[in-house]
Amino acid sequence: MVQVTYSTGRGRRRRSIAAALAAGALLIAACGGGDDEEATGGDEASATETASAEATATAEPTAESEGAAPGGSDTALVVARGMDINSLDPSLAYCDTCQIYLTAVYETLIGLAEDNVTLEPRLATSWESNPEQTEFTFTLDPAATFADGAPVTSADVKFSWERLKALQGGSSYLASLIDTIDTPDPQTVVVTLSAPNSAFLAQVNAPYLGIINKALAEANGATTDVATDAAEPWFLANSAGSGPFQLTSYTEGNELRLARNDAYWGTPAAFPEVIMRETPQAVTQRQQLEQGEVDIAMQLSADVAAGLSNPDVTVEQVQSYNYVYVALSPGALGAEQLTPEVREAIRLALDYTGLIDVTVGGAGKPQPSPIPNGFLGTEGLPEPAQDLERAKQLMADAGVTELTLDATFPSLNVYGVDFSTAMQKVQTDLQEIGITLELNPVEIAVWADKAGSDGIPVTMLYFAPDHTDPSQYVQYFGLIEGSSWLARAKAELVPEQQTLLDQAFATQDVTERGAVYNELALAMMADQIIIPVVNPDLFLAYRSDITGMRYSACCNLVLADLGKG
Amino acid sequence: MKRYLLRRIAVMPLLLLGIASIVFVVSRLTPADPLVQIIGERNINNPEVVAAAKARWGLDEPLPVQYATYMKNLVRGDMGTSFTTRQPVAHDLWDRLPATMELTLAAMFIGVVFGVGLGVLSARHRNGVFDVLARFFALIGSSLPAFWTGLLALYVFYAKMDWLPGPGRLAPRATPPGEITGFYTVDSLLHGDWTNLREALMHLILPASVLGWGVVGIVTRLVRASLLDEFNMEYVRVARAMGLRESTVVNSHALRNALLPTITIVAFTFAFLLTGAVLTETVFSWPGVGSYAVEASRTLDFPAIIGVTILGGFAFLLTNLVTDIVYAFADPRIRLS
Repeated sequence: MVQVTYSTGRGRRRRSIAAALAAGALLIAACGGGDDEEATGGDEASATETASAEATATAEPTAESEGAAPGGSDTALVVARGMDINSLDPSLAYCDTCQIYLTAVYETLIGLAEDNVTLEPRLATSWESNPEQTEFTFTLDPAATFADGAPVTSADVKFSWERLKALQGGSSYLASLIDTIDTPDPQTVVVTLSAPNSAFLAQVNAPYLGIINKALAEANGATTDVATDAAEPWFLANSAGSGPFQLTSYTEGNELRLARNDAYWGTPAAFPEVIMRETPQAVTQRQQLEQGEVDIAMQLSADVAAGLSNPDVTVEQVQSYNYVYVALSPGALGAEQLTPEVREAIRLALDYTGLIDVTVGGAGKPQPSPIPNGFLGTEGLPEPAQDLERAKQLMADAGVTELTLDATFPSLNVYGVDFSTAMQKVQTDLQEIGITLELNPVEIAVWADKAGSDGIPVTMLYFAPDHTDPSQYVQYFGLIEGSSWLARAKAELVPEQQTLLDQAFATQDVTERGAVYNELALAMMADQIIIPVVNPDLFLAYRSDITGMRYSACCNLVLADLGKG
Repeated sequence: MKRYLLRRIAVMPLLLLGIASIVFVVSRLTPADPLVQIIGERNINNPEVVAAAKARWGLDEPLPVQYATYMKNLVRGDMGTSFTTRQPVAHDLWDRLPATMELTLAAMFIGVVFGVGLGVLSARHRNGVFDVLARFFALIGSSLPAFWTGLLALYVFYAKMDWLPGPGRLAPRATPPGEITGFYTVDSLLHGDWTNLREALMHLILPASVLGWGVVGIVTRLVRASLLDEFNMEYVRVARAMGLRESTVVNSHALRNALLPTITIVAFTFAFLLTGAVLTETVFSWPGVGSYAVEASRTLDFPAIIGVTILGGFAFLLTNLVTDIVYAFADPRIRLS
């Protein structure tokens, strides 16, 4: 939840992760309180939270959001990207580029400030929750309007979130706990959850929970019933949001064009047009950036970024929350010997520094737990380190001298990490303790089929956050009901993890929640199912006259913040 | 001939349905899960999301029912909706075909002009220095993989020398001309948009040359070999004995006959490139049918895979038919019956 900028030759800012962590964690939790008197409870911590929340949640739009627009420009902003768009329908879209698009076109009730931690008003001017974290009330800004001039009302919010839940798209899980949405008046939204969820405000901040113009969407086939909804094709060519940009056109495999929403109710964007060009190769992105054909490239690998020497181009190396991990599935076919001892031996046999060097040229960090560095609850976790002697001892204790394991993995290159290279390094490391991996790179569709049937003893995958709360990692990696890796690893449930997660969901106090997530992080480390190996840094490369460039934890790239200096 | 043509045209839909059936069965038997593309890897273990996606895309039906539904829709011209683009496959193909056609025609132009020229000169200077060099050039063109020559060409002419533009059909900041034909060169010309016309032509040079080089290799060797055969024919010896100029003998007599087998190869190469310019389109970020096919295969996008296959099959069938007709006109000895 904290952006850490590392200085390169042309680097910019430096921030202290520790300081930001402390402040950030406090503020995130504080926003859970909103200005609700009920939420204050009686203890001192809660009072502090509420005070902070009031400062944040009830504030008038900040100087930043209301003040001068970033440097204006007559020309289009061009972004070179390998676009992974699966849909432009806000209820079905689920991808990295979708985050950028949705943030630009569909506004959420709550925004995420530049510090990647503080929740700030967007469509909602204030919000509050009950102490049980089951009821959340939002007050909408009466000035907010959609691009067609219609006001943003509580009915639009209700429609958007009910549709998100009903359509069961990739991001529907974010709305899965929503039980009812009441709209007592056009400016008030009351959401009741079926279970406590202290992460709800962080989820509301995710771009997938952007608000759709109900009347316009319904006129074009949108409903809140998966059986009757037929609006997805319309959303591929049109938009119905209140954001600073509108969709102009989208050609799959070619380009996505946005035009500035000149009737935007907030501060208009600086660029009249944004063009996202399909440019999958990092080398081409770099060349186009150097030659001034594009303004931004943010999918450069470490080696490609290192080759940038153009004085007109700025490169920032920032910490990301994305990571690549090795997953062990003790219940997979042929993995009978993947006992806890052997799994621990595997964890100790890996050369983490070497893996980071081999995959991203050292531009990354080791990561102790499945909850990535910088998230609530990750302070003080033991750093992963290679210990071959201990690993060999564990193998001997387990009575395993030679072991051959299937290592089918998706043939991907994600965040600059080439999975084949990484798995070859893992293979080499594990040979040291008598484990032979049979590497088998396949397409992700083939991988998914195998992972979902026989299971795969040793594999590799990646994760990027959808929002700023650690709960998403427990829900995906923890050995709890409904977790993806419980099913894939065919492991046994660990009820204590569910208890801890329920406790975290029901707790408003940030310190308590941090402690619970710390316990959960340690518990997931003890599972030895997920072994993070690389937390790669992100390279933001852009023409030096572009201002406002930053990596957003929720939204990837915020186009409305960009200008020309 | 008319009955022959009608019969050939009538058989085409049946052949295409046969092709579609084979691809349908093979793709569904592949041990892979296409839902990853639709709902994302993270949701693949979520039963509600999986069930909704399967229902939405008709994947919850038994395979024979899926097949019957698909074929019924196909007969009505509906190729289904792509898992990846969420658009009707026919729309996708129609959208992407002009880009591929433009690239393929430019490549064929380069391939045929240079291939025939080099083939003729090679034959006329058999075993000479020029012949050796031309054959070597042709051999390289047809041997080197397009992704390698494409990357090399981009590195040299775009990245290092900056003589030619990089990937894509237009400069990243350019606005495409209003669509009339979908060919950027033609549309720019029709709109009188000279800036875009220049851009479109410049962007065509590298990918068309890379793709055309392979065609040059094939055509050069074929024309050379055919011409050398013709040179040994009596009518050529007679023409030479009559004192006709060598250029007349070659261009007016021998070349005309030598080009007959070339027609077949050129036609099939054209059909192949329409759906097979996969590597070139990928390297040059060319939004055509080839790159669509790559993405469809990678993501196991069943409807798109079948759509591309049907398009390819149609291209080959049509090319075959046109070749036969051209043959009949080019060689009076051939009768279509």
